[in-house]
Amino acid sequence: MPQLNCIDPREQAIEVTFNPGETILQATHRAGVDGILAECGGGCSCATCHVILDHTWDGTLVGPSTQELDMLSFAVDPTPHSRLACQVELSDKHDGLSLSVAKRQY
Amino acid sequence: MRLGIVGAGQSACTLATELIRGNFDGEILVFNGEPHRPYQRPPLSKSWLKMPADTNILLLLPEPIENHASIQWIGEWVKLIKPDSGEIYTEQATYRVDQIVLATGTRARRLTIKGLPPETGHVIRTLGDAERLRQHIDDAKNITIIGAGFLAFELAATLDHPDRIIRIVAKANRLLPQVSLKTADRLVGSSPASTLVDVKIESFDTVNKSLITNHGPVPADLVIIAAGAIPNTEIAERCGLGTAEGIATDEFMQTPHPKVSAIGEVSLHHQPHLGRSERVESISEANDSATTCAKRLLGHSEPFGAIPWFWSDQGQLKLQIAGLCARSDDETCLISTDADSVVIRHCGDRVTAVEAINAPKEFMAARRLFERGTVSLSALIKVGSVFDLLQSSRS
Repeated sequence: MPQLNCIDPREQAIEVTFNPGETILQATHRAGVDGILAECGGGCSCATCHVILDHTWDGTLVGPSTQELDMLSFAVDPTPHSRLACQVELSDKHDGLSLSVAKRQY
Repeated sequence: MRLGIVGAGQSACTLATELIRGNFDGEILVFNGEPHRPYQRPPLSKSWLKMPADTNILLLLPEPIENHASIQWIGEWVKLIKPDSGEIYTEQATYRVDQIVLATGTRARRLTIKGLPPETGHVIRTLGDAERLRQHIDDAKNITIIGAGFLAFELAATLDHPDRIIRIVAKANRLLPQVSLKTADRLVGSSPASTLVDVKIESFDTVNKSLITNHGPVPADLVIIAAGAIPNTEIAERCGLGTAEGIATDEFMQTPHPKVSAIGEVSLHHQPHLGRSERVESISEANDSATTCAKRLLGHSEPFGAIPWFWSDQGQLKLQIAGLCARSDDETCLISTDADSVVIRHCGDRVTAVEAINAPKEFMAARRLFERGTVSLSALIKVGSVFDLLQSSRS
């Protein structure tokens, strides 16, 4: 199975397997990656699943919607590579994608 | 400590997660009567209903929590609790615990409609309900949804299809009474459903496949009853805790019995933002009440202080509401364009809720402002947007 390389807020590295078609949130939630709250359950309504993606993967991803960008502007210290994990759908080509979970969701 | 959680929905799972992450010293028994691992309910009326039959529902718990050694899963419904002795009774066995948390949630209100065949009439609350409904959708040309709330409109948006006619019929005299007239107009106007209010349903005509109403026959080869939820208070009521309205708790989610707590949609407690007790049906309530209860059980109590918030996806429109208001609160439209709208609910000058359609920044700014304290309508009107008010209060 393809996998993601995640760094949690305590700098622990965790490999997370995913099924193509899942979102980053679904994969990391199942694996129990710390620091992703996702209070709304993946509805792009709370900005508490903030992750920062390795920018070298930018070309493989569909960019964020206006809704997502607006929600992200309320995340703690967003960066140009910040995303909401619930809005990023994964495919086979994302095998090996690296991301770090935001230090704080509030 | 040995803890028994009655229920396995959003609030029960948040409680279990918070306890395990907080290094709870003891054993947690979770009573889950549904024949499924704990799953997320919100997608049932949204995307999930349209997905292929083999699509798995999203699970609520991370695997390391669900499989944690401190959790014992009991796949049975609870029949009775005895608070004094800490006993929990199922059909099969009796369990003894030190603390009981009732997270029994709500169930769909069912209506008795004379002549309505079981395969035609549906509710949607559990995964079982949704699976059953999904089997009948493809054959339905006329879908009639009974109800006036968010669920009715969410279902209409989800089930929208060129080959189907979707109708919403409501007993009430207005649609979406939880929100302002302005917000309701926007949502109703963009809904694929035709709507009828003040409807009294007399029976179902199986020959012509129609609901017989005071407005004449309404074609329906599928009827979905989305007429609200009833709190599951029976277990509590049987031992003298709670009423049909909900299970009353203090601000730490404790009922009057020292061994029994109640969390989530079934709990009836003081809502600081509203200034009175109210039972609230939302994910934020499920999570925040569970977190408050977990803190108490872990020995560092903090009173419930959360600001409620809600969201609902209605096709292309995303409604987000920060705060909680009385239905009688006034409404003032702050922003209205073709794309988005923001309506302020208020009681005099005090803002009680902000209803934002496709305006996430306004919604998030309102949550932040409410967390800091009272928001004034006149200050808001002066600057013109919730976001600008938040910015100006920061500088």
